[in-house]
Amino acid sequence: MLDNKDNNFKSKIKAEDKIIEFKINTKIYPLTAIYQAAYLFLDKVYVFLDGDPEKEIAVIFKGKDASFAKATEAEDLEKIAGEFHNELLNQLLREKIGDTNAKIREYIVSAALYNAVPNEVDKLLQEVEEEDWQEDPLGIAKTWSSAAPSGAMGDKENKEK
Amino acid sequence: MEVVKFNKKIYSLEAVKKAIEEFKNLAEFKIKDSGAYLEVGIDKIDHDYHGVLKDEFSNYVLGVMS
Repeated sequence: MLDNKDNNFKSKIKAEDKIIEFKINTKIYPLTAIYQAAYLFLDKVYVFLDGDPEKEIAVIFKGKDASFAKATEAEDLEKIAGEFHNELLNQLLREKIGDTNAKIREYIVSAALYNAVPNEVDKLLQEVEEEDWQEDPLGIAKTWSSAAPSGAMGDKENKEK
Repeated sequence: MEVVKFNKKIYSLEAVKKAIEEFKNLAEFKIKDSGAYLEVGIDKIDHDYHGVLKDEFSNYVLGVMS
């Protein structure tokens, strides 16, 4: 096992087992950010977490056979550990932005949902629009003469004569 | 038999159970509560996956947690 104290993060490498272990301070990076960052590395390495989420999380990376050439195992592991730290920062920033924008995000979603639900006025307007104004079931639009039976007009005219 | 110890403060029992459900055709799994850890015993591992199943299983559990 090799203690790597030259890096900004302390790590232990077991080159023969293709394992690198380092610790993350959860007061700086919350467990949720560690989960998210770890998720992105599942296809590159085997990831295992241990420790106390209130103090420090131990992250253990084990190289997958296909992704590690023997000569560069230790370097590759260190490189991936460095990328993991970068990703942690990225996830931390995402969380902070998410928290900062939470209220405005909720407002936008609620406004969108409110507009999507039709209200009473919209329903009435739609009913009016759907009505066919040219239909005249009560015959209101007809004139008296056109509404009267055909013989009725003739009788009246005859009586007047 | 291989054993994986999952820290209960980091890994949930539901995630472990879900992973076991997914991997049950490749090996036999037994969960044991040992204080701060959930111990998962893996036995009768399918020959094709003997070298990697334990690590792949751990990765899957972590994936479920994320």
